[in-house]
Amino acid sequence: MDRSKQKQMNQNENETDAAINGYFDGRVKIPGWKAGGGSGATGNPSTTVPSSSVMESWREERTRSLEDNEMSLPSIAAAYTTILRGLGEDPQRQGLLKTPWRAATAMQFFTKGYQEKIIDVLNDAIFDEDHDEMVIVKDIDMFSMCEHHLVPIFGRVHIGYLPNKRVLGLSKLARIVEIYSRRLQVQERLTKQIAVAITEALQPAGVGVVVEATHMCMVMRGVQKMNSKTVTSTMLGVFREDPKTRDEFLTLIRS
Amino acid sequence: MEYQKAAELNGLCNGKIVTEYLCRNGFSELTENFDTKKVAVQHKNETSRKEAEDESRLPALEAAYTTILQGLGENTDRQGLLKTPLRAAKAMQFLTKGYHETIFDVLNDAIFDEDHEELVIVKDIDMFSLCEHHLVPFFGKVHIGYLPSKKVVGLSKLARIVEIYSRRLQVQERLTKQIAMAISEALQPVGVAVVIEAAHMCMVMRGVQKMNSRTVTSAMLGVFREDPKAREEFLALTKSA
Repeated sequence: MDRSKQKQMNQNENETDAAINGYFDGRVKIPGWKAGGGSGATGNPSTTVPSSSVMESWREERTRSLEDNEMSLPSIAAAYTTILRGLGEDPQRQGLLKTPWRAATAMQFFTKGYQEKIIDVLNDAIFDEDHDEMVIVKDIDMFSMCEHHLVPIFGRVHIGYLPNKRVLGLSKLARIVEIYSRRLQVQERLTKQIAVAITEALQPAGVGVVVEATHMCMVMRGVQKMNSKTVTSTMLGVFREDPKTRDEFLTLIRS
Repeated sequence: MEYQKAAELNGLCNGKIVTEYLCRNGFSELTENFDTKKVAVQHKNETSRKEAEDESRLPALEAAYTTILQGLGENTDRQGLLKTPLRAAKAMQFLTKGYHETIFDVLNDAIFDEDHEELVIVKDIDMFSLCEHHLVPFFGKVHIGYLPSKKVVGLSKLARIVEIYSRRLQVQERLTKQIAMAISEALQPVGVAVVIEAAHMCMVMRGVQKMNSRTVTSAMLGVFREDPKAREEFLALTKSA
């Protein structure tokens, strides 16, 4: 019953929001951005914003509530019991007795990003400051789940932005990372979502996000390359257009 | 039926002292002086999971993963998640492939008579396992040392023993002991030492969320337990600079 409710919720969102955590269709349109055309329907392609799906993310509906969590816990736990049996283990032995519940709760924790909205997290911490130099928060530890294998991804996120009279509380950058990373993710999408969220919230002159992560799906299984790291970046606004700004950002996150 | 066998698969042997080694993956109270006959009995026991059965179990695992995804509020019809239940089920089977294998298969040929009585160490063996309490990975390094008693084992076999026992639903303490016991049984050496240092994602990604914490466990058998000098030598040689 609650599953159909969720399905319905999902379907409604499919109308407005391509998927809860799916691809952006098209490009991002930021009202008020320069690059000749500003907030027109046809802005400069490099600074046009994707469909309404992303603009909605600022005001997006929460997809999961704490009550949903409680209601779906028994079915997730039952699924884990099936998995334990399917792997040849005995779910009745002492070490595994409560494992389905622990694993279900753990999995709900790893996807708690679905419970939160950006607007709750950011609402108060935007300040008017007459600052127009780069602000960087680097080495933010990030833990996510690979949506293809349901295996952890972990690494670091570096965020930089050039404010346009409005700055953000610093921990809010880390909270944005938390909201988007605690989901079933693809690293490319995660990077973009973080950049777009900051852009929408602050309308800065530019945003740069670099994510460097280790994928357990590559380390623990498959190709089994222990030391491989995947690096993705999103540069928006002046970070994309001006190579000097981008260089400054990349140098500062390296040091 | 098979769950009866699996009851002892990776668990405590019901608290009793096991003289017949039916318990393939449990703590055992046995000493290192094994009857080869008892060992052979153990090895003749079937594994709880045959490779051939993996394929037939996939649909049930897939259905379970689909339920989980839906329970988490995700839309299982979106492009990125379409084949995820299948991939996740196969990944989980790979991560628990240690249940397929027995020590006997892996070690059978590679024990050699060598007149060597000095410490042999294989260190920094990367290890990946799954926490049996949260089904979340833990990974780290294993250092193994043994003092042979006329019999040495092929070096990669030590790493294979680590693989067999780590690719299961494990508890780090048990894993350490199982590796030590397996080497003891196979070689009857003068002593075996195993040290594992691992990071547990269940502590790093959730719960207390301590990023840099590491858990270290060790198992010292034979001369490593009795003689502090031997233990010191092993620990000094495995300390990474």
